Amino acid sequence: MTSTLNRPPVESSSSGPSRTPHKAPVSMKHRLSALDVKASPYLYIAPFFILFAIVGLFPLVYTFFVSLYDWHTLEGQGQFVGLSNFTAVLADHFFWNSLFNTVSIFLLSTIPQLLVAVVIAAVLDQNLRAKTFWRMSILLPYVVTPVAVAMIFSNVFGENYGLINNILESFGIDGVGWQNDTLPSHIAIATMVNWRWTGYNALILLAAMQSVPRDIHESAALDGAGATRRFFSITLPSIRPTMIFVIITATIGGLQIFTEPRLFDPVTAGGSQRQFQTTVLYLWEMAFFRQNFGKASAIAWLLFLLIVIFGLINFLLSRSIATAEGRGAKARSQRRLLKLRQREAQESMRARPAASVLAETVPVPGPTEPTEPNAEGSTR
Amino acid sequence: MNLSRRTKLASGIAGAAAFALLATGCASSGGDSADGNIELTVTTFGTFGYDDLYKEYEKANPNITIKATNIDTGGNARTDMVTKLAAGSGLSDVVAIEEGWLGAIMKSSDKFVDLTEYGAADVKDNWVPWKYEQGTDPEGRVIGLGTDIGPQGLCYNGKLFEAAGLPSDRESVAELLGGDDATWEKYFEIGQQYKAATGKAWYDQSGFVWNSMVNQMEEGYYTKDGELNVEGNADMRANFDQLAKATVSGLSANQEPWVWGKGKGFVDGSFATMVCPGWMLGNVKGSLESGGGDASTGWDFADVFPGGASNWGGAFLSVPTTSEHPEEAAALAKWLTAPEQQVKQSAAAGNFPSTIKAQEKLVEEATPNELFNDAPTGAILASRAEGVIAQFKGPDDSIIQENVFGPALKLLDTGKTKSADEAWDKAMSLLNDLVVNN
Repeated sequence: MTSTLNRPPVESSSSGPSRTPHKAPVSMKHRLSALDVKASPYLYIAPFFILFAIVGLFPLVYTFFVSLYDWHTLEGQGQFVGLSNFTAVLADHFFWNSLFNTVSIFLLSTIPQLLVAVVIAAVLDQNLRAKTFWRMSILLPYVVTPVAVAMIFSNVFGENYGLINNILESFGIDGVGWQNDTLPSHIAIATMVNWRWTGYNALILLAAMQSVPRDIHESAALDGAGATRRFFSITLPSIRPTMIFVIITATIGGLQIFTEPRLFDPVTAGGSQRQFQTTVLYLWEMAFFRQNFGKASAIAWLLFLLIVIFGLINFLLSRSIATAEGRGAKARSQRRLLKLRQREAQESMRARPAASVLAETVPVPGPTEPTEPNAEGSTR
Repeated sequence: MNLSRRTKLASGIAGAAAFALLATGCASSGGDSADGNIELTVTTFGTFGYDDLYKEYEKANPNITIKATNIDTGGNARTDMVTKLAAGSGLSDVVAIEEGWLGAIMKSSDKFVDLTEYGAADVKDNWVPWKYEQGTDPEGRVIGLGTDIGPQGLCYNGKLFEAAGLPSDRESVAELLGGDDATWEKYFEIGQQYKAATGKAWYDQSGFVWNSMVNQMEEGYYTKDGELNVEGNADMRANFDQLAKATVSGLSANQEPWVWGKGKGFVDGSFATMVCPGWMLGNVKGSLESGGGDASTGWDFADVFPGGASNWGGAFLSVPTTSEHPEEAAALAKWLTAPEQQVKQSAAAGNFPSTIKAQEKLVEEATPNELFNDAPTGAILASRAEGVIAQFKGPDDSIIQENVFGPALKLLDTGKTKSADEAWDKAMSLLNDLVVNN
């Protein structure tokens, strides 16, 4: 942001002197360099957009095209059917079942994951010994491929021979139907997701926390705010943009979950009774098992729309939560500033210049001001 | 943006290089090097027993290198193949196809090379006639050469039989189950006896028993004319009820098919019998070994099958038209499915060959199979193959087997329902959703 704002004056000052010496050959060379200045930024960012057009935009549009046809995976394009693939999918109870599973697994994974990630990040943000060690260790699960994670966890959550059920049975408790019951299977899959992504998200949040200016913390501490209070009033509002980013990427990832449920039971596509079949898994089954490419494309588009909607909801929610906090804080400090200024003005008449210096640097009146206990009490 | 000329030049080159990378990144590289060496890729599934044969072929044909891929189950191999067929690339030069998906593939048989162009018709008489027929499409193009067939015998655990007070040697077990007149009723009845004596399950899970039952019928999920034949099929319903009753009474161990707790199910005595088509012996062997078992675990193979002769599965080798070396690939497929190689394959994987000479050889040799208490599995399978009929397989046969009846039977296995009606209704509703109205 700052660099683009600063650029125009820099540019004019640097190109200005270089223009003056050569007056005649302005034409060709100069036009070229003008073109360079204008066009090359676009050229530099072009690779991304060209790649995106090829691997992002084109498939998106083409998928929509396919979804309008009766399209068999092997036999190819059939009749144009308009939106009937969409209506068929929307009337398909397997589709709604897959949505329920997706949302359930998404909630079971994203919410605990982000909560734990914030806590871990906050802990890592403290002055620990061997910081790098701790930071690397929480990232370690992320290095393991999802396939390996799924294989390890399906041993843990196996129904007949799994670790957890073995332990339960050795205590005489009935084993849990990790694969055949709906909720346990969702928990098992959410555990895999959480195990892999919590550390990753914690590191991103940690990076954001580290960029919160320390002096704010210090002054708050001076004002007597405890660690918890500082966490909720300073840290959380300050990492709001990162929080939104993490929540949105977690939403996209959570709604697209495929590998874990696919490998949790490698024989069926999401459990024998589809008890943990997610929407992407259903899409996959539709395309490559049932070989109905048209309907599969319709599912893909519906999922895309769903993710956009969820993303927007999350964006608005996380923004409003964080701004409510932030706005409150801002309003409070402004109120305090106002009071301070008023008092300052009153006191300046009694000639006490020290207060004005204090007001410049620290907007919040500390407990060092015994004169107004009411104001302090009301803000807490 | 005040860059020096050199920087601009460098960035220009970098940009150009990036574009060049992008442009060339999509071009795929061929499988062969300049010196005439050809790399053939082969994809199989389950236990195929080809590893030594690949080496032998490479030795005899020094210009050929074989790169083999094996996919765990037939279901996953089917998906793999469909995905790559749809994409129009990525298929191996030689692809193994299962009987159950052949019906689906016949609709797009033009995606496979006609092997008669490479001399398949000359060796036609190698195979049992129905196997060769199965690999031929309606226009008479041969798209698959038969590897094995799936005559079914009964795998059973002799030690568990003994512990339950049942006879344990092969002949007595065959007799116990009714010999040539063995019926499913008898099989379930002995199962009840076993269950009463030990409290343990009789078979691993219902799905495989069901597949055997259906494959035994003269017409399966489709009539000979290719009409769907499930709803209102009284014979099929009677089989279903019989199986449901047995499962509800606790004869199923509710094991996960193809996994069996990573083979532990074969070792810990969870179940005492299992329906075994020839190729299943390879799966049993693999699972038994990964579960820590060996010959002393007690598994054996009896020359008997409830309800008479049954054929479940069996595979073909085909060459997709996307292959860059169809001639060499066809030659390899022909060689792998020739009688001499089928004998070796059978020795490695335990499956039963589809060529007549190889079958005769197996009977003649009657090699004892160490893992199965020295049972002459090849000779037993030959005896089990007598009277096997080739059932017509429709386009959605494997979907009906795995995704329609699989979940319905799992309901019974897991005890989520105890009613055969409910399970059958579930199957019918799945059939409607997945096949009829797909």
